[in-house]
Amino acid sequence: MIELDFKEKTRRYSGGLKSFLSDWMILILFVALVTICMITMSKFRDPKNLFNIIRQASFIAIIAMGEFFVILTGNMDMSISAIIGMVSIFFAGFVVTMGAPVWLALIVVILMSVIVGIINGLLTIIGKMPSFIATLVVMNILRGFNFIYSGGLPISGLPQGFNFFGSGYVGVVPFPVILMFVIAIILYVFTTQTSLGRSFFAVGGNYEASKLSGINVRFVGILVFVICAVLTAIGALGLTSKTLAGNISLGDELLFDVMTIVVLGGTSLMGGRGRIFGVVIGALFLQVISNIMVLMGIATPWQWVVKGVILVTVVLIDSNTKRD
Amino acid sequence: MNTTIAVKQVLDTTPLIRLKNCTMEFPGVKALDNVEFTLMPGECHGLVGENGAGKSTLSKCITGEHHMTQGELYVNGKKIRIPSYSIRESQALGISIVHQEFQLMSDMTGLENVFLGRYETKAGFIDWKALQKKISELIEFLEVEVNFNIPVKYLRTAEKLIVQLARALINDSKILILDELTAVLQEKDIQNIFRIINILKKRGIGIIYISHRLDEIFECCDSYTVLCDGKYVNSGKVKDINKPQLIKMIIGRELTQVYPPVNEKFGDMLLEVKDLTAPKAFRNVSFHVRAGEVVGIAGLLGAGKTELVHAIFSNHKLTKGKIFLKGKEVKIKNPKHAIQLGIGLVPDERRMLGLNMQFDIKDNTTLPTMRMFRKFKIFQDKNAEAKAAYEINKKLNLNYYSLWQKVSKLSGGNQQKIVIAKWMLKNCDIFLLDEPTRGIDIGAKFEIYSLINELTKQGKGIILVSPEMEELIGLCNRIYVMYEGVVMDVVEGERKTQEVIINSLLGVNEK
Repeated sequence: MIELDFKEKTRRYSGGLKSFLSDWMILILFVALVTICMITMSKFRDPKNLFNIIRQASFIAIIAMGEFFVILTGNMDMSISAIIGMVSIFFAGFVVTMGAPVWLALIVVILMSVIVGIINGLLTIIGKMPSFIATLVVMNILRGFNFIYSGGLPISGLPQGFNFFGSGYVGVVPFPVILMFVIAIILYVFTTQTSLGRSFFAVGGNYEASKLSGINVRFVGILVFVICAVLTAIGALGLTSKTLAGNISLGDELLFDVMTIVVLGGTSLMGGRGRIFGVVIGALFLQVISNIMVLMGIATPWQWVVKGVILVTVVLIDSNTKRD
Repeated sequence: MNTTIAVKQVLDTTPLIRLKNCTMEFPGVKALDNVEFTLMPGECHGLVGENGAGKSTLSKCITGEHHMTQGELYVNGKKIRIPSYSIRESQALGISIVHQEFQLMSDMTGLENVFLGRYETKAGFIDWKALQKKISELIEFLEVEVNFNIPVKYLRTAEKLIVQLARALINDSKILILDELTAVLQEKDIQNIFRIINILKKRGIGIIYISHRLDEIFECCDSYTVLCDGKYVNSGKVKDINKPQLIKMIIGRELTQVYPPVNEKFGDMLLEVKDLTAPKAFRNVSFHVRAGEVVGIAGLLGAGKTELVHAIFSNHKLTKGKIFLKGKEVKIKNPKHAIQLGIGLVPDERRMLGLNMQFDIKDNTTLPTMRMFRKFKIFQDKNAEAKAAYEINKKLNLNYYSLWQKVSKLSGGNQQKIVIAKWMLKNCDIFLLDEPTRGIDIGAKFEIYSLINELTKQGKGIILVSPEMEELIGLCNRIYVMYEGVVMDVVEGERKTQEVIINSLLGVNEK
């Protein structure tokens, strides 16, 4: 009898077709868009092109997964573009100019981004600054350091072997794609199957109530910035390896794309709501749109316009649909 | 002269509001089912019922926020065309609503708030002199002492309410809906509101009074309408009924005993605090709680009650004082530490502090305990979690559809049960309950009372903060009365009477 009642009380609570559609809207749109392009555009359905899309989406997806955590807790990290520049230029500097081994340079730049993440977190959580301002300030300071270090010039001449990171293949599958999926799966398990993972959603949903429920809200709040910085560093290393050169302006245009992807993926800007695989789909979606525009010969400035319109549309929908 | 009398007579016989067969359907729910409601000029009409009985929905049908699915609405005897009815139209007809939640701009002055959106202008500029004159007249009429020239954020809760009332009245309202106004007020401020209501009644204004506190219905209302589960139960004159009859109508059954008998079997000392001091909140507070004991904390708004329980939970800074748990001194570092030591806090603002409204029932119930349900110490065992949440909520008689239901969809009483369930699941020894029955209906209140009793039988220690003296007297073994941050009196045994407590509440110390 009790068993039966328990089953009854744990039955899945389906919100009907409407809630299904709003939950999976991005996936449905993505499938629809890809299907239409597959049918109508021969250049698009070329397997080479398809692999290219996923490969190009992979590093930006990794960075977006980092930003996802910050937005999940109701904050925002504007410093990622400067972190990308920092990782790129210092990594190249360590390896090319100072002759450090690649593994050591990797560790050092990852540690540097951890420190940047901690600073972002401390300013926001302990210093109680609005994250938008805190990370914007950090971004500018980092940009300054990047420029001071490099004089603004790119540092080229990274070893050929490092190329594997961004352009290598395992069998027929590009290495970045594997990396993206491995990271996504780990983060998926982390966010859905662990108590720390659930704490992120709790803190984003209601900071005070989470604190009073015994969650270490400060730790969680700072940790998201560190996760974001580290994932950004991994993405930045991938982007650097494609050209084998360090460049301080590598990430300058990426912040906008990353924000678009996170929001496209169904992450609420108010915090507390979102999915890792939503972010992955968001990244693929945006990349498909870029790809189509390139194939159709649309000029870059127009691509910015289109992406801007997409972001506005998604945020408008997000802000105006009541979720409960 | 004759004409005014004639007009007055017409006013007296035409109901201000007449609602016939009102039915309001939301997708899947019938919030109101064939409800009748009549408001006469110069009367205060109490609208009572449990949470979810349809009181708010009814008032929203009258203000035009909802369009009722069926039925007829007459305002001043004129039939309203429902499909085109709107809040704007209802305001033009002189209907105003005052909520308990403040809809004031906290950085603007009372004056600016009152006239917000309808400033009188002279040659394109705001005519402050005229506005000032109008507000002075109103202050005189209401006989209140509120400073309308400072930003409202510096005003007391009760004064903010007066500003809101002024905002409604300056609109020349004929019909005033007061929705749970007194839930956040202290006794003497409530009396002041009653006085104002009486002044308004003499002016022929009709008042719809929504409240959970039945004593208030008997004190200030002329007539009543009872709703139960969206259905119309009864209405009539207040003077013809008594409180037990009203309660019976509201919950559909008779209540024999309001408070369960207080537990008198105490165990060991659980918590002892000495000389707790927090600047601007309270100073030199000492008390103790034994196992099986309910200790009450009484005090007016600003007496430092909430700060005190938060300080014990280490969510408010202490500058002085010692806390002993089971005889051992402890330094509690943060709320997490307090929970590890077996203390659970049920905060007063359930929606803001107690629950994560976006989470489902299961996730809210197991939020402090989720680490107890892990496979290989890493992965959450969701099945075990669901089972634990299910069992504890069954014990608490929680009324829900599925564990995966969002808590935002539950009634206030059920939400409060989940907040308590969190700490029962954690097996806390000490429960800090800060106004656990705020804004929940009578039926749920009694369930919370018997739950408190049940906890004491299990040897838990309970600290109960409440603005309702009756509740404290009925449930507590001992009551500490605070006034402006200081414990004025400790009331127990035969001294547990309203008079003794009131004297200390107001700072009249007779000790």
